Amino acid sequence: MTTLKVENLHVSVAGKEILKGVDLIVNTGEIHAIMGPNGTGKSTLSQTIMGHPAYQVTQGNIYMDGQNLADLSVDERARAGLFLAMQYPSEIQGVTNAEFMRAAINARRPENDQINVMSFIEKLDEKREFLAMTEEMAERYLNEGFSGGEKKRNEILQMMMIEPQIAILDEIDSGLDIDALKVVSRGVNSMRSDEFGTLMITHYQRLLDYIVPDFVHVMMGGKIVKTGDASLAKKLEAEGYAGLRDELGLDVHLTDEEINAEV
Amino acid sequence: MANNIARAPLPLPEFAKVRYHSWQLDDLTPATENTETTYFMQNPTSGIEVSGQSTTYRHVSEEMISQGVIVMGMKQAQMAHGDLVKKLIGRVISKQADRLSAQNYEQFNTGIFVYIPEHVQVDDVLHLILNHLAMSGQDFVARVFVYIGAHSKVTILQEMHTIGSEKTKASVVIEVLANIGAQVTYANIDSFGEQTTAFINREAIVSDHATVDWQNAEFNDGNIVIRVASQLNGEGATSHANVIGLTIKKQTQGLVTTVLNKGRHTVGRIFQRGVILNRSTLVFNGIGKIIKGAKGSDAQQESRVLMLSRRARGDANPLLLIDENDVTAGHAASVGRVDDNQMYYLMSRGISERMARKLVIRGFMGEVLAKMPTQAAQQKVMAEIERKLQYEDD
Repeated sequence: MTTLKVENLHVSVAGKEILKGVDLIVNTGEIHAIMGPNGTGKSTLSQTIMGHPAYQVTQGNIYMDGQNLADLSVDERARAGLFLAMQYPSEIQGVTNAEFMRAAINARRPENDQINVMSFIEKLDEKREFLAMTEEMAERYLNEGFSGGEKKRNEILQMMMIEPQIAILDEIDSGLDIDALKVVSRGVNSMRSDEFGTLMITHYQRLLDYIVPDFVHVMMGGKIVKTGDASLAKKLEAEGYAGLRDELGLDVHLTDEEINAEV
Repeated sequence: MANNIARAPLPLPEFAKVRYHSWQLDDLTPATENTETTYFMQNPTSGIEVSGQSTTYRHVSEEMISQGVIVMGMKQAQMAHGDLVKKLIGRVISKQADRLSAQNYEQFNTGIFVYIPEHVQVDDVLHLILNHLAMSGQDFVARVFVYIGAHSKVTILQEMHTIGSEKTKASVVIEVLANIGAQVTYANIDSFGEQTTAFINREAIVSDHATVDWQNAEFNDGNIVIRVASQLNGEGATSHANVIGLTIKKQTQGLVTTVLNKGRHTVGRIFQRGVILNRSTLVFNGIGKIIKGAKGSDAQQESRVLMLSRRARGDANPLLLIDENDVTAGHAASVGRVDDNQMYYLMSRGISERMARKLVIRGFMGEVLAKMPTQAAQQKVMAEIERKLQYEDD
């Protein structure tokens, strides 16, 4: 079992404190969802765990099985078993999707035991078909000219190829139509096992109809304010974040509150 | 051709923002070395390898010979097809063009001659390999002429190398004459060594409805000035001039890439991508010129330079000179550093920083890399990129 442990995490971006003490434990075999209103620090949490240089940890720690991630560079974190499906994946011209994924897989293997081309292609074909992606996708440049939906699928394809222990999925549902959402969810569900844990970040309960979480956390004002099971997401859908905030008696401003109040 | 009448020396060719006068490229002693070794070509690759004075490899298919195709060392061609060679040389780059080109015209003693008659489709990629034998300390002065008859089609892959390590100079002038409706792809990988200081001048005349596309890869290690030019003389002539370059250590590489729109409805594109390491200098000058009367023409250019070291110097200078109203034109240029977001993305998949940077750099040059005409040429360019990136930490 692998455990990702976030302890009293405080994070600043450009001098502004975004996370104000986050505690979270994700074990392999578990599916976690983090929900929360816009601008509450959900993406900050995912980027900080991965090690994006723009996010500065001012207090607290993140551990993978006792290894402090502060000591690891971005690529070392990935090789330690972390994966982040990004909200805005980069486009890289001149590097094909297939070549990129092979480099990622080989980075995890010793130099004298690189993946055999045939087994790589077999695996790629299998996962690609599972996600209903076309064959030419593999030979296209990395994310270049991909539609929003294609990029999301490609993130999931990478995850299935790399087989991380802990995957963070940052708004993997945004910009997807219902059919694409089903395909992407099928990909994530296929990974479900005792060897794999997920932390999904989402605005919408809809995703959780397809990938049923074991735990739902609600984040507001840079902290996790409530944790429950899948039913918590349904409750949120019905009552909104403002309802939960008032119930908990929190002093947090919600970006879109005024607009909804006017409706 | 010798002329005893004293005359004012022609000016040196202009390479804006490159100081190269002290390289003394106008003072050459043509080398006379021979060899029996073939360094790069292997049977049955179509083409020719010329090293110093020697032609050590030549393979032209029976079919091509029966169609009248000539591929020869320049000296052999002057003997076998003297009138033809004499008539053509200087047609594209005049002997008065500039001091260095004129000197090449006077002094060249090696090179390659290619003649493709009209209505010939050459299916194999034609390899033209020129090696400078730098053993005696004398200089390499070579001329290449490629004639493509009307409605003929050919893809050329030219390479240049230095064999030996004596400090020397090189002057190579390459003329391409594409007749009506001809389709030419001219790819080259220039890899002169660290001790070779060179002038390379490539120019094409593009006739009515003909196309000449340059895929120009500059991986020399020494100081070098390079000119790539297309004269779009005919109605509807097209030329894409794609250039990539990577500089290392203390070398200076200066380029001028020029497309001249003369005919109506001509299309000229300049696309340059360069990477600069260590203390080296890389300068891209792009010149798009549309003359009066070239109605309906299009001149576009994009030059981008990536600096991997704070001590590197890079320049991308676009120039559009337009003397006609009924045209379209545009330019873009930038000098920048490796994109942090791309690096982060690649590394988040477990790829090391070094590997990620290599992928980003290769990607940066990818568009031209992908247009290299053979898999082997693409791999060669990738290998050159990797070889040069080894100096990254120097």
